[in-house]
Order: sequence, then structure tokens, then C-alpha cells
Amino acid sequence: MIKVVGLSVSLLMATIGSSAFAQANSEYYNDHYCTTCHGVDGIGNEEVSAPRLAGMEVWYLQRQLESFRAGIRGTHKMDLQGIEMRAMAEDLSDASIKDIVAWVGTWEFKPAPITFAGDAEAGKALYTACASCHGAQAQGNEAMGAPALAGQNDWYLATQLHNFKKAYRGRQPGDRFGSQMIVMASMLVDDTAIENIVSYINTLGR
Amino acid sequence: MSNSVSRREFMHLLGSTFGAGALVHMGAALSLMPNTATAASLSFAAPSPGKEKVLVLGAGISGLTVAWELTKAGYDCTVLEASNRAGGRVMTVRSGDVVDEIGNRQVCEWDDEPHMYFNAGAARIPSTHRNLLAYCKELGVELEMFINESKTAYVQDDAMMGGQRIRNGEMSTNVRGFLAELFAKSYTNAQLDEPFSDSESEKILGLISQFGDLNENMLYKGSYRAGYVSGGFLDHGVQKDMIAFKKLMQSQMLRLSFTANEGETGPMLMQPVGGMDGVIKGFTRALGEKVIYKAPVMGLTLKEGGVEVSYERDGVRQSIDADFCFNCIPSHLMSGIPNNFPSEYLQAMKYIRRGEAYKSAFQAKQRFWEDDDIYGGISWINAPIQQIWYPPHGIHKDKGIVLAAYNFGGGMHFTRMTQEQRVEAALAQGEKLHPNYREMVEKPITIAWHRMNHMLGCSGRWGNNGGDWSMETQSFFNRLQQATPGGRHYFIGDQMSYHGAWQESAIASAHWALADMDQRVRAQA
Repeated sequence: MIKVVGLSVSLLMATIGSSAFAQANSEYYNDHYCTTCHGVDGIGNEEVSAPRLAGMEVWYLQRQLESFRAGIRGTHKMDLQGIEMRAMAEDLSDASIKDIVAWVGTWEFKPAPITFAGDAEAGKALYTACASCHGAQAQGNEAMGAPALAGQNDWYLATQLHNFKKAYRGRQPGDRFGSQMIVMASMLVDDTAIENIVSYINTLGR
Repeated sequence: MSNSVSRREFMHLLGSTFGAGALVHMGAALSLMPNTATAASLSFAAPSPGKEKVLVLGAGISGLTVAWELTKAGYDCTVLEASNRAGGRVMTVRSGDVVDEIGNRQVCEWDDEPHMYFNAGAARIPSTHRNLLAYCKELGVELEMFINESKTAYVQDDAMMGGQRIRNGEMSTNVRGFLAELFAKSYTNAQLDEPFSDSESEKILGLISQFGDLNENMLYKGSYRAGYVSGGFLDHGVQKDMIAFKKLMQSQMLRLSFTANEGETGPMLMQPVGGMDGVIKGFTRALGEKVIYKAPVMGLTLKEGGVEVSYERDGVRQSIDADFCFNCIPSHLMSGIPNNFPSEYLQAMKYIRRGEAYKSAFQAKQRFWEDDDIYGGISWINAPIQQIWYPPHGIHKDKGIVLAAYNFGGGMHFTRMTQEQRVEAALAQGEKLHPNYREMVEKPITIAWHRMNHMLGCSGRWGNNGGDWSMETQSFFNRLQQATPGGRHYFIGDQMSYHGAWQESAIASAHWALADMDQRVRAQA
């Protein structure tokens, strides 16, 4: 079996803070990979299906990176964006994750642009079930392990609700929070329900 | 079917034999080769006083073109490039290079020799791409011929002849033989729309016979053109057996006999000596310190009479004001950079889809193809790797770099695989073309353009599902091609061309924007 020998990603990520450094053969690599997809200062980029990270909770960033690394997220073949993220996270060390979170965690909260125009009023009723974990204002609740939803990209929230509903996410062993989300997402009967609930979340926390 | 057919009927027959697509493809390839004006005719007015500052975003070939032309015209140009290298998808991989795929960084460990390289993006220069060729001449980029077609390369398809590989020349010779026999049998002067005289008819039948190497009875029974089984020089050559058309037609790759080496990929093609990035080095040599590397753009603001761009360099945010800005950042990455583009621009940017092309390469421990009469050219396989390219350079050296996959359509097949899976797939499929392939190659490099840092896509795609160009597509394209209101910012790059994925396309887009800007400058002078 032929294997490519390369520098491990963990080595790169350990140097976050300096924008670049030289390695063998004077080649450069950029350690700010997050912004290529997630946009400048983590504002998110719908064109490459990368959600907003700006203002995301530090504890959630860390958990999500660890979940991708462990294969709890991004291993189902239909979780297309998750697969891309999993490749990025797979070789990260604990120290690298800490470094990334310290960097990404400094980005100021900037609510994502609204792209959905569903029936927010209908979504409000549906959201009641979500509020017990994610908070009435979708502000998130660390004690419950529930991230903030307010200000997140609506298309991203919808994608993940679909992913949970179809169990593309949440069914991998060890996905404690994801398995709860499968149950919750199953209560959203169709695409309209998902659009409505996300449209309601769009009205919160801005 | 009657014994004789008219030309119309014959075209119909051809169409139904190969599918209408084959005819359209062939016709398009032969007659619709895009043309651009010559670069020699470019002449731009000197800048108006106080309006000299030009900012180019991205050191792809379109950006470099703008910077070079406007530098010559007297403008003060700065090029901001996010990565450590110029060229974008004009990228040559050699010993020591880093392939910066997100989540799959690779370091190239090939032998460090001038011929041991792989053009991971642009790889061929057609002789009709006159602007690119003009820049090669102007910038001292040495060119050599590139071999796209080799009759001794292979064609393989599991659906054809039990998966047995055959030589490209066997495929084309036997298909031509069949077609010629069909032509001859169909040729009846009386029923042609425009009858020919007897002597003309004789010439036509002679041509048909030569086209397919028919025997004296105007039947195809095999041809020496497909190659010999043995002998030929000091004893009588033994011709290979004819392959029945019925067997060949089981392969979907049949049409390749007529299309793969026509039009833009037909002779003559060229490449820079030592790698396609020779073109880029030509520009960067000429531009010197005007190109700033590792300087990702962090924000763009259209202002009254100019553009303000912020960027990061060594961890520090800086900003530059410019009178004009030319932007070849891929539209899908520009969407992640704060900007104040008008909403109709943003809408048009979102319309372009990301290309998915994928390539890979191996170092070959020996030039095993040369032992098999192959010197350059492409083998085709009906499998995701699609092609194996043999380097036309470095002939008879010890080793060489083979292109091990070029999936220009559904590249996500490989992109979603792990590196190990990609390599195993390339080996398993390549073995069908060369039984000893697995033993002969090493040190893989894979290029999934969809996942490459600072790229996240191959050439932008405007057409929907299969390249159709609707009214909607046209209106979005027109909107994005125009300067932003006030005429200070242009999108450029092959994303702003009707014919993406060629260096010539990127240059043409740059020339379009330059001509538009020049007109405005002259109008205000």
C-alpha cells in the first residue's frame, strides 16, 4: 500500500497566531484554514455550505471539533458537508483544538443574513419543544449542551434538521446530543415545518 | 432500409448509430473553436493624473494579465494573493511542493529533476489560444509540443471484449473500416441530392476506401494501421485481426475515436518546458515585487471614485485604497469576504457553481509505457480515473510522472474519498490498462480542486445541468461581467468567460475588463 507522507495537521495548527511559517523546501502553508470556507472572521459562506462561526460558544466549538475528530459527526455518507469537516478535524491534537478554539472564539458575534421567508408564527409554536434546551431566545444553554441557534445561518439550521431527521447525524455511537436531536427533528413533519421553525429562529436574538 | 441512401438519410443513419450527441460534438469541435482577438492589438491609454492606483485581487493568470498590461500602460499595480504561490489553478507539482488540500495536506517526494513534474491544473496550450501564446513569446516562456493522442496508448472498458485493453489505433482503425464499408455500400450516385459525375464518384469511392483501408471489393477486413502481431521489417508482417464493430460499439467510449483529439484538444498542443507554471513565472518575473503573497483579502468596499480593500499580512490587518480594482477571487470565496457589492452582483455571484475536477499522479519507477511503444498521449478507460497521461517530456530518462486520473466531470467521486481510497482506486483501475501498474508506480499526489485551500473549486460553471446557457444564465453573466456602478471594480478570471477552464479564457476576461476600463478612462480624459 502506498501512503503519502506529509506533515501532520496537528503540527500546523499548533502555530496558530503566526500567519505562516516556512518548513522543508521553503514551502508555506496557511494555518488559517477555517476562514477559507467559513469566511473572514467566521461570517459563514453559503456558497461553500460553511456556517457562521463568529460568536459561537467556545465550549460548543470545542465539542464539535472533538465530535468530528472522533467520527461522531461527518462519517455518514449523506452528511456531505460533515465529511469535508471531518477530513479537516481528523488529525487534530488536543492542543491544536485548543488553539483553534482560542482563535475562532475571538471572532465577534455577527448574525448571519436571513435567507428564509417561512411562516415564523407557525414556527413559534413548533419551537416550544426546542426552547427547553436551546432557550426561549435560542440563546443556547451550556448546562444542557445546547448551542445558541439565534443568528446562525438559516440554511445551515435547516440542513442539520434534515440531517437529524434522516439520521445522517445523531446515530453514530457516542453522539449523545445528536441522538436527542433525532427524536426532536422527527416531530417536524415536513420541509415546511422545518422552514417555519427556522424562520421563527430568525426573529430571535438580533 | 433501402440499398442506397441520400446524404440526409446518411447523416440520420450516422446519428442513430452513434447518437446525435456524437455528431453535435464532432461538429462543434470542428467548427466552433472559440477565437479571441490578438494580444498585439492591445493598447491602453496612460492613466489620468491621480488615478494610477490599481489593485488586483488574486494572482491567477487573469489577475497577472491585468497587472502586466496596466504596468506597461503606466499604472501603479499591486497584486494581493492569499496563498504562497501565484497561478491559482495553473499549478505544477514537483519535489518538495506542498499540495494544500484542506484536511489532506501532501508533500511531494518525487525525484528532484526537471522532467519530474505534474501539471495539476492547466496542462495544454492549443495553437489557437493566441493571447496566451503571445504572452509566452513576450515573457520568454519556452514552449515544446505536447502529445495528446497516441495510437499506441490503450482503450479499456469492462463492457467491451471482456474488458480486454486494445490499442487506441485498433479502436480507430476498426471503427473507420466499418464506417467506410458503410459509406461504400450506401453510395449510390443517383440518389444523392447533388449528383456527381462518374469520375467524381470514382474519386469519392477512392477516398472512402482510403479512409477505412477497404479491400478491392470495398469491404473492411482489417488493416495494418491497427498494428502488427509480429514481424514487418525482416519478415512479412502479420496483421492484427480485425475487430468486429459490434464488439467495439459495446463501449461508451467509441465516440472518443472522433472527438478526443479534435478541436481545442486536437493537434497542435503545446506546453512550457519544465511545467505549466512557466507561464506564471513569466508574469511574476516581469512584475517583480508588485505581487504580495500570503495576503488574503479580508474586506472590499466600493467607494465614490475607488475601492478600499483590507487584507491580512503577517497577522496584521492593513488596507489599501485604489482607483481601480480587478478581482479574480473565485466568486464562491468572495461570498465569504465582507463586501458592499450591489445585491444584483451578489445574486449573480451565487449563480455560478463550483467545478469539481480531480487529477492525480504517480512517480513511475520506470518509464514502462516506453517499453510498450507509448511515448506521450493518453490511455482511456471507462472508469472514474478516465485517463492516464504519459509525459511527452523526459523521453528515455529513468523515471517519469504519469497522470493517474483526470475526472473532469464528477470529480466528487474521488474528492469524498480518503487519500488511501483515492490511491487504491487509481491503482485498481490503472491495472486494467497496465497489468504491472501497481508495481511500477509510487508516491501518489492527488488534487481535488474542490478541497484545495484558497480555491474550493475548479473552473466556475455557468450552465445548468450539462452546460446549457439559458436566458437567466445570460442575464446573470452580463450583470457580473460589467463593472460595478461607477466603473471601479471588475470581476475577471475564467469564471467570467463563456468557455471556462482554459488559460485563454482567463486572459480574454482580463482583456475585456481592460478594454472597458480603457474606454471609460479615455472618455473622461
